[in-house]
Amino acid sequence: MQQFVQYTILGLVLGGVYFIAASGLVVTYTTSGIFNFSQGAIAMLAAFTYWQFRWGWGWPAPIALFVVLGVLAPALGAVLYQVVMKNLRGTSEVTKIVVSVGVMLGFLALATWIWNPTASSPRRFQKFFGANSIVEIFGVRITWHEIISFVLALGIAAGIRFLFVRTRSGVAMRAVVDDPELLELNGGRPERLATISWAGGAFLAALAGILITPITGSSMSANALTLLVIDAFAAAMFGRLKSLPRTFIGAIVLGLTNYYVVAYSPSSWTWTSAFRQSIPMIMLFIILIILPQDRLRGATVLRTRERFQMPTMRTAWIAALVLIVVVFSLQTIMQPSPMKTLAYGMTLAIIALSLVLLTGLAGEINLAALSFGAIGTIVVFHFGTTGTGLDSRMTLWGIILASLVCALVGAVVALPALRLRGLYLALATMAFGVFVSKMVLSEGNPRRLFGRDFTIFPGGTLRIPRPQVGPVDFNSDKAFLTLVTVLFALLAIGLVAIRHSGYGRRLAAMKDSPAACATLGMSVVRLKLSVFMLSAAVAGLGGVLMSAQLGAVSAERFDIFLSLSLLMVTVVGGIGYASGALMAGLFLGCSLIAMTNTLTKLNVDYASIQAIFAFMISAVTVLPATIGITMGKNPSGAVTDIVKGLNDMKQAKPLMFTVIGLEVGFWLLTATDVLTNWNFVILTAVNLFLVPPIGGAIMKKRAFAKFGILPPTPAEFIGIDRPYTQGDLDEMEIVLGLDALGVAAPVLHEGEPAHAPA
Amino acid sequence: MSATISDSHLSNHDGNGPLLELSGVRAAYGTIEVLHGVDLVVPQGSVVALLGPNGAGKSTILKVCSGLLQPTAGEVRVAGRVINGATADQLARLGLCTIPEGKGVFPNLTVRENLWMATMSGVSLSDVEEIAYARFPRLGERRKQLAGTMSGGEQQMLSMARALSVNPALLLLDELSMGLAPLIVANLYEIVAQVSEEGVSILVSEQFARTVLGIAHYAAIVLHGNVTRVGTPAELEDELSAAYLGS
Ligand SMILES: Nc1ncnc2c1ncn2[C@@H]1O[C@H](COP(=O)(O)OP(=O)(O)OP(=O)(O)O)[C@@H](O)[C@H]1O
Ligand SMILES: [Mg+2]
Repeated sequence: MQQFVQYTILGLVLGGVYFIAASGLVVTYTTSGIFNFSQGAIAMLAAFTYWQFRWGWGWPAPIALFVVLGVLAPALGAVLYQVVMKNLRGTSEVTKIVVSVGVMLGFLALATWIWNPTASSPRRFQKFFGANSIVEIFGVRITWHEIISFVLALGIAAGIRFLFVRTRSGVAMRAVVDDPELLELNGGRPERLATISWAGGAFLAALAGILITPITGSSMSANALTLLVIDAFAAAMFGRLKSLPRTFIGAIVLGLTNYYVVAYSPSSWTWTSAFRQSIPMIMLFIILIILPQDRLRGATVLRTRERFQMPTMRTAWIAALVLIVVVFSLQTIMQPSPMKTLAYGMTLAIIALSLVLLTGLAGEINLAALSFGAIGTIVVFHFGTTGTGLDSRMTLWGIILASLVCALVGAVVALPALRLRGLYLALATMAFGVFVSKMVLSEGNPRRLFGRDFTIFPGGTLRIPRPQVGPVDFNSDKAFLTLVTVLFALLAIGLVAIRHSGYGRRLAAMKDSPAACATLGMSVVRLKLSVFMLSAAVAGLGGVLMSAQLGAVSAERFDIFLSLSLLMVTVVGGIGYASGALMAGLFLGCSLIAMTNTLTKLNVDYASIQAIFAFMISAVTVLPATIGITMGKNPSGAVTDIVKGLNDMKQAKPLMFTVIGLEVGFWLLTATDVLTNWNFVILTAVNLFLVPPIGGAIMKKRAFAKFGILPPTPAEFIGIDRPYTQGDLDEMEIVLGLDALGVAAPVLHEGEPAHAPA
Repeated sequence: MSATISDSHLSNHDGNGPLLELSGVRAAYGTIEVLHGVDLVVPQGSVVALLGPNGAGKSTILKVCSGLLQPTAGEVRVAGRVINGATADQLARLGLCTIPEGKGVFPNLTVRENLWMATMSGVSLSDVEEIAYARFPRLGERRKQLAGTMSGGEQQMLSMARALSVNPALLLLDELSMGLAPLIVANLYEIVAQVSEEGVSILVSEQFARTVLGIAHYAAIVLHGNVTRVGTPAELEDELSAAYLGS
């Protein structure tokens, strides 16, 4: 009995803290319609900052609390809204999710930058008034910290409810989601309200972070702390991101289950601790199953700002061929280590391709692509290899089996969430990812299953051999690089083919308007399910190849944060294009490593300015997140811009030939060992990034000289460098397409239907 | 191309300067210009109807007046003050009331909470409720109901209730009739006429030309982003039935 009371109280306390974090989510979602994935990271940052003030610098607790909760956290929330989230109006759900995920990754990188994770002495985070200030209630001992946490949760629940129902500003915050313009017409200030609510949301996250860190007794690890508060997602979902009472119930149930599992699970369960950590994600999954279906809404995403053009089959074939030729010629001059890096990047690109298929074509999201890779890897490890030791090879059947299993697992993961909005599918995949990391990849020890001893992930590391298909052996680095490049190219062509097929058009239609599709009699669920399975299979394939490239993989290779980074970088590259996937894979797999390696090397060589290089290394790790955050401004991705640049170059044939000629020259020099690899990379970069703009400028000048016309003033300088002329205005009309719209010629058609049918 | 109301013609009406005046207003969505120099005058205490086919720019004119869309050129003057650059919420607090097209209510707020939002322009909630429920008893019965679950007519009553209770100097109405039965439309315009008799100046965009011409002092025909004709309903009657109504 005593034990029951003890665990109940602890569960209530944990539930209370979950509620505080979840209520922050509800507040920001209510006013801005953005699900704040970075909530956990804000909590983590606050915990670290508080630690710094309180124990790092020895400030008194009240001052440290005031500075963190009263000043820094709200300021962070407000700035986050003003600088990042505000720009997300009118973007698709994908962009919204990716941007807030980007913020989360950015904060994580920032925290590991500031607070070195391998610090010499562990950081100790204590409860308020220390761990020894205890009172006895019902014969059980509770710390004041726990009492404070629970009382705060109750107070916040009451306070927020009061705010949202009883105060005009609170009601106005709810009105903002409905219709910000109408609120303005009423005399309200939506921007200000949203900013305030983000400040409030960040405050709640920070409070939760400071309270929860000592309660769970976890070490001060940025990733772990972030995930801890992400657990609150389940509670927020139980309240459908709207209802505070239901959120409260969800949070309390979550907290209680957490402790009851510890207290009452049989001691023979060796997996209790892993199970306990996965409870929130399992609950999230169950909640998604039982949530009632959303009403299909017609025009929700009709006016998004993302625009993707469809490449023709011909372009796809040419691009694929170019890619293969380029990689093939690089391979002949490369040393083994960069070749490995390149192959790794290429396998990541294949995984990213699964995201292009799912998100770019169908508008759905998978936040745990690498977890499917993990499943595929496990399947191949157990069922897809032949031979032993150095002679062991992956079989073709193993690869196929892995893809099939991933497709099936994908179906199980996606099915409950498919009838819901994209955000819910994203959360389901995230739950799956955390579940795989915590419960599947941690299975390093043998377990009796169906009367047979079986170890899912023996020893925490799997050795995965490279494949051999029939007589063709892909064991050498060169052969493997060729294999993954050709596979990527073929899959990319397949992707474009899908886009051109009837199936692809149905997917596009579904992405634009599920409601319209449903009324046309399409089975939206079947469509979503099929594309998700297909994408999971590709992700599994990519994951298997990635493991084969690395040779030996541990659980960290499939971390959820890596999956998130990959998704983000793919969206930055251009989620609508296979080339976006290529960019993402190469960026994450190669450039980041290359940049860090180069800087580390410079760091060693030039010890005197070490600080600068150390700073740059850290800055590079923050880079992807920083780019992701800017997505709100340019949601179609970088590829769109690059394609435009390439098209310009096609117009300028001499320039194109110069660039290609120079590149071939560099390659020849490197192949004959005149140039080192390193010089080749630098010259290539110069060739690609500097020659086209400079050459272009020269060519333009020449052309103007030849035809005797003045170079035009760039549009933004008209009116500054020289006055406006009538010609400028006319030109503007042409650019704006006013003629095409027929505005210039107001002709009235007879019998034009001018009034609504009465 | 654009026609102007001659000043003398309008000031004859009641001897005061115009309450709302647009001169040479251009406006664009992104890079596409949809208003190409609109001139329009709403004299004090009068009802001016904007008529024109779909997509002519009527709603855009109202958006510019209400401050939701900033004009790229030209001037908007309310009671003689240039209001270019003023935001919608500032204007609302200055006594401008706009009922936007189709959806003048917050669907996820209750009727009472919707009325509460109206108080942000500076009136008290008890006043707003009193006026609203007195005029539309149906709203009083349903003050706890979510606005989104009410019928289209009831929703339009709710948004009209705001117009009645906040005491505006200038009322902008966009397509009151959208999706409503003719009888309800007629009722709503009766109310608009009463409001106008209290001295409120009104600019209204409408597809039901016949209904609105019954209460309008002036009508302006909007075509392709220009105001092409302005006159009294009687003056425009022939032109309207010939060209615009196609009957
Ligand atoms: N948000 C917007 N973005 C881009 N273009 C717009 C937007 N809103 C309106 N337009 C365009 O501006 C033009 C004028 O639209 P407006 O809504 O003012 O017409 P309207 O006269 O009110 O038509 P209706 O009688 O159908 O309401 C149309 O061509 C329309 O396509
Ligand atoms: Mg309109």
